[in-house]
Amino acid sequence: MNMSRARKLSVAVTALLALASGFAGVSAVAASQPNSHVQPQAAVAGETYVIGTDTTFAPFEYRKDGELTGIDMDLIRDIAANQGFTVEIKSLGFDAALQALQSNQVDGVIAGMSITDERKLVFDFSDPYFDSGVQMAVAEDNTEITGYADLAGETVVAKRGSEGETFANSIKDEYGFTVKALADSATMYDDVKAGNSVAVFDDYPVLAYGINQNNGLKSVTEKEQGSSYGFAVNKGQNPELLAAFNTGLAELKSNGEYQSILDTYLKQPAPVAASGFFGLLSDSLPALMKGLGLTLLATGLSIVVALVLGVLFGFFKVSESRVLRGLASIYVSIFRGTPLLVQAFFFYFGLPQLTGQPIDVLTAGVLTLSLNAGAYMTEIVRGGIQSVDPGQTEAGRSLGLGYVTTMRRVVLPQAVKIMTPSFINQFVMTLKDTSLLAVIGFAELTYQGQQIYAANFRTGETLLIVAALYFIVINLLTMLSNKLDKRFNK
Amino acid sequence: MSTSSNNTASVGSKISVRGLRKSFGSNEVLKGLDVEITEGEVVCVIGPSGSGKSTFLRCLNKLDELSAGTVIVDGFNLGDKTVDLNEVRQHIGMVFQHFNLFPHMTVLQNIMLAPVELKKESKVDARATALTLLDRVGLADKADARPGQLSGGQKQRVAIARSLAVNPDIMLFDEATSALDPEMVGEVLQVIRDLAAEGMTMVVVTHEMGFAREVADRVIFMADGVIVEEGTPAELFGNPQQERTQDFLAKVL
Repeated sequence: MNMSRARKLSVAVTALLALASGFAGVSAVAASQPNSHVQPQAAVAGETYVIGTDTTFAPFEYRKDGELTGIDMDLIRDIAANQGFTVEIKSLGFDAALQALQSNQVDGVIAGMSITDERKLVFDFSDPYFDSGVQMAVAEDNTEITGYADLAGETVVAKRGSEGETFANSIKDEYGFTVKALADSATMYDDVKAGNSVAVFDDYPVLAYGINQNNGLKSVTEKEQGSSYGFAVNKGQNPELLAAFNTGLAELKSNGEYQSILDTYLKQPAPVAASGFFGLLSDSLPALMKGLGLTLLATGLSIVVALVLGVLFGFFKVSESRVLRGLASIYVSIFRGTPLLVQAFFFYFGLPQLTGQPIDVLTAGVLTLSLNAGAYMTEIVRGGIQSVDPGQTEAGRSLGLGYVTTMRRVVLPQAVKIMTPSFINQFVMTLKDTSLLAVIGFAELTYQGQQIYAANFRTGETLLIVAALYFIVINLLTMLSNKLDKRFNK
Repeated sequence: MSTSSNNTASVGSKISVRGLRKSFGSNEVLKGLDVEITEGEVVCVIGPSGSGKSTFLRCLNKLDELSAGTVIVDGFNLGDKTVDLNEVRQHIGMVFQHFNLFPHMTVLQNIMLAPVELKKESKVDARATALTLLDRVGLADKADARPGQLSGGQKQRVAIARSLAVNPDIMLFDEATSALDPEMVGEVLQVIRDLAAEGMTMVVVTHEMGFAREVADRVIFMADGVIVEEGTPAELFGNPQQERTQDFLAKVL
């Protein structure tokens, strides 16, 4: 943020200079601003690219005041500006970003990703933009672990699929320790602080940044010679984007902008003064409220669709047609018989790979939740209808009323009354299930909480606030539902 | 009122059953019934539990599907797929052992539902009819009560009023007094007796032998899915021909 504001200022200043000093000024503009209009990459100019990234890889990507920032973010945005294209950043999580890239949900990934031979098989990499390396850290008050030799019989933690994990695995037999993999840095640091693991292996810039942010750890070894970070596109896709990245990177390096970005994040950031709980509350509330809004939106949409599905398939289940009953049974057994998390991954990553049609995260999330909740709703509707005494239907039919009329006037009013408590229950379940959509990068309440503690390392307090928000909203909605139930189902 | 049984289709035949069979899975409950019922006739069906009496009754308005045979009611062949069952059922009122009143409606709404939904009457007319019917079964003061507030006998009288609301010309009673406390049986039987006196065609499955003897034009004794014997009450109760009839009557009388 600071970077681009400073750049705009310099552009404005040089432009003024240019007006004032004529010819000399013109050359100054050209030198300090080798931008879009000077040497645009024809293939990328004016294009918008969707770039996937990690959620929690400070200082490469993290949120500050709700905005994505970090080395990767400044780099990709400045390169985009330099090369005349636009980027839309999607903060997905590391694993998720790579899967999104493979399924062409995003055009490129910049996520502090090491260039490895394995990854080169599925992705095309840019020139390296950062030389990293793995470092080990332990809890601040730990005096026993000072090197790899002290790790015998202990458990260490590393980020799943990262270079740190690869390195830890490569030496675990030699030193006799066990490696546990977790998904993000903040969780790993908490794991070490909680004593579940004695040490963490993480990329040194990330570790250094975290330590400077008072994450409660200290580094005890030198950085291992590591690989380099690169920007990636899907194999054979978007070659023009890759070329533009390389050209832009070279230009930023030659004009000094690259170094100034690195300095901003790595040169001894001042330790931040920890604000109190209420400081955290007021700082995080805007982002959390935005997340809560999305949680409620996804819940609302999903419940409505699930209700339609539940009523439809519920009627199928009690129908006389064997085909319809079978159809409903298959639907229910698929969605009750697989984990919601797997369904979410499937709809967001798997489906686009099968159809070639990208899907946005809200659609995928609502699709997942509504199909899942719909299966449970189907059973609620079936159970409700079947729990009405068959004599009621017989009485209706013997009066000459048709099936539909009997359902509508006789069975359903009684069934709805029986179903309502289960509906309210399912509604609450679905609201809580939205938190699982954090894994596909849907920016709901839990996701926002993760973003916040990823940057400030105050996991416990942040999660407490998140939990309290869920608790308040769910209990308010439950009270409201019960009140409506009492009023309409006397 | 006709007083003798009649096994051949007659001009006045209201219900004609031929070779009726009904199975639930591999269990054959009705094993070939032939019955003719003429207009205005009151037929009581008696027999031990599990003899198929209720199933026979439920086949007359096709609440149960027929497995074989034909049932012709008011000239409608129930086996014919093109026959509008809802139309046929409006000619046949049915009263159940467990009343099956709609618990979410008032007494009046229970009675008005079918006439209004079937667009036979306007709401205003249906209401007037319902009140008349309630008066007829002695419950005019219960119009706005919910079924849950009524005694068993009152519920059954409301159920009778409800089935009369679509103006049927046949009434089926399926053990209408079996679920009632003894002191309430009388009030329900009285309503049925009044209907009989008005000339309604009725098939009454019952355990009330005294009632059958008094009201029926004809009594059918069923056992094991077949009609064992039938005749006037005097014949069947006074001089049963079959051993099984004699055994049954010896137990219940």
